[in-house]
Amino acid sequence: MSKQEMIVRHKLFDRLCHWTIVVVGLVTFLTGFSFFYPSFQWLGGIVGTPQLAKVLHPFFGIAMCLLLGLLLIRYYHHNKWDKYDWPWMKAVVWVLLQKEENIPPVGHYNPGQKMLFRAFVIFVIAFIVTGVIMWQPYFAPMFEASTVNWATLIHAACAILMLIAIVVHFWMATWIEGSITGMLYGKVSKAWARKHHPAMLDDFKEEEK
Amino acid sequence: MAEQDIIRRSGTTDITPASQARVGGVKKVAKLFDATKCNGCKACQVACSEWNDLREEVGEFSGSYQNPPSLSPECWTLMKYNEIEDAGKLRWQFTHSACMHCADPACLKACSTAGAIIQRANGTVDFDSDKCIGCGYCASACPFDIPKISAKDNKAYKCTLCSDRTAVGLEPSCVKTCTTGALRYGTREDMLFYAEKRVEELKARGYKNAGLYNPEGVGGTAMMMIFHDINDPESYYMPKDPQVPMATEIRQDWLKPLGTAGLIATAAFALMHRITVGRNIVEEDQPGYIDAAAEKEEDSK
Ligand code: HEM
Ligand code: SF4
Ligand code: SF4
Repeated sequence: MSKQEMIVRHKLFDRLCHWTIVVVGLVTFLTGFSFFYPSFQWLGGIVGTPQLAKVLHPFFGIAMCLLLGLLLIRYYHHNKWDKYDWPWMKAVVWVLLQKEENIPPVGHYNPGQKMLFRAFVIFVIAFIVTGVIMWQPYFAPMFEASTVNWATLIHAACAILMLIAIVVHFWMATWIEGSITGMLYGKVSKAWARKHHPAMLDDFKEEEK
Repeated sequence: MAEQDIIRRSGTTDITPASQARVGGVKKVAKLFDATKCNGCKACQVACSEWNDLREEVGEFSGSYQNPPSLSPECWTLMKYNEIEDAGKLRWQFTHSACMHCADPACLKACSTAGAIIQRANGTVDFDSDKCIGCGYCASACPFDIPKISAKDNKAYKCTLCSDRTAVGLEPSCVKTCTTGALRYGTREDMLFYAEKRVEELKARGYKNAGLYNPEGVGGTAMMMIFHDINDPESYYMPKDPQVPMATEIRQDWLKPLGTAGLIATAAFALMHRITVGRNIVEEDQPGYIDAAAEKEEDSK
């Protein structure tokens, strides 16, 4: 097994960025949901008290959005739609059932990941815009009450949707064994790439030349 | 002092209601502001600041006697001055503006913190500032634009209807001070009775549109107002048809249950999938990558 050939999938900068987002995002989500579910206000206890959660949530949120925005910019070129995507998408049921022989090849990212990428782009923008509008006591008083109220609704809806997206992301990351080590240490085996992202190896070949 | 007369409590499910042993004989109360009697003297505004130890900064003159320009964390009762031109004559209309103590309070519905806003058996709405986290959801939901968040301590503040006075049988300090009898306080029933008589009287004196402002959209209010012209509450800076805002209702009544269901369903599906489909492992000893064409050849052998 020591013979297995490894290739780089995530650069050091992106890995640091990703795991920082995970930590900052965890604080943002736990404090945020402590406001959405009053009975679970103790979730905000991750930063101390409910009052501290309210003060710190926007700052963690901004940090999460900026870092996530950075990661999204760096991974943009991997996430354009290409010719592999549509056939793969049609076979998504086989992907979930692990019927390897029925799964068409995909590139660096599969369409599921690309959709998640697009969802994250929308969430980052929506969170920054609505988050600033509802930010007490600094910015909210500058806006009409009804504007702030709608912003609160959109902010909460995006949070629920993004949490669902992250559950899917976590599910896939833990299911596809080898991908978390990839995100942690940067490298995946060629066999892994061949199994999950065969066309990625073509890119890799070209880069090598 | 434990409070045991709470009929509604923010962020609290019906399964675990607030303590309400002492709601039995309590009657609903109301404060009545009669705009047709008010002379704009501001005694109520001063009494409020006196009783509650609030000292809003002295602002600047901006062409109106209204000062400060709006309610604030340090100003819970504000006299509003509206100059109306009526048949070539200038007339002032005064509004004693403060929390309306809605029967169906949007602030309480919107609040994100268990117990930060409560409604007592007597119908008044009170903030428990010690619990408040300063998110401001109440401020953006209130159709009357009443709660204000303090930048000093991140708490929401508004008129309490002097809950610390009424609890011991005193009337609110603004009512106590009112120089013209424009403010009254008593049981809601009495106030409705009085208002009816007063409106009749006004009509007899020629104010055909006189009426009681007790908006239905928020279930009625424990601060009611008598206006010269009930069809034009906007001329008193009061909204025509205040409601619990739609965004607040969607967030609390639809997004929460549906979003939670979606979240749990996704997590459950993921777990079932993991258990039924099983691990997704790469056989590392399977032939490594050569190149697409050669690989295909090999596969077809
Ligand atoms: C504990 C939770 C998480 C785990 C285990 C995890 C794991 C991973 C893994 C393994 C990858 C690489 C996928 C691949 O190589 O194909 C990845 C990519 C990524 N992750 Fe996470 N992640 C987590 C949480 C998050 C969070 C909270 C965010 C954002 C808020 C996030 C944003 C991303 C993004 C943007 C990518 C790049 C995907 C793309 O460009 O399509 N992750 N994650
Ligand atoms: S007027 Fe505003 S702050 Fe007062 S009870 Fe009604 S919604 Fe709440
Ligand atoms: S600011 Fe305080 S009272 Fe207002 S909604 Fe937030 S926690 Fe509740």
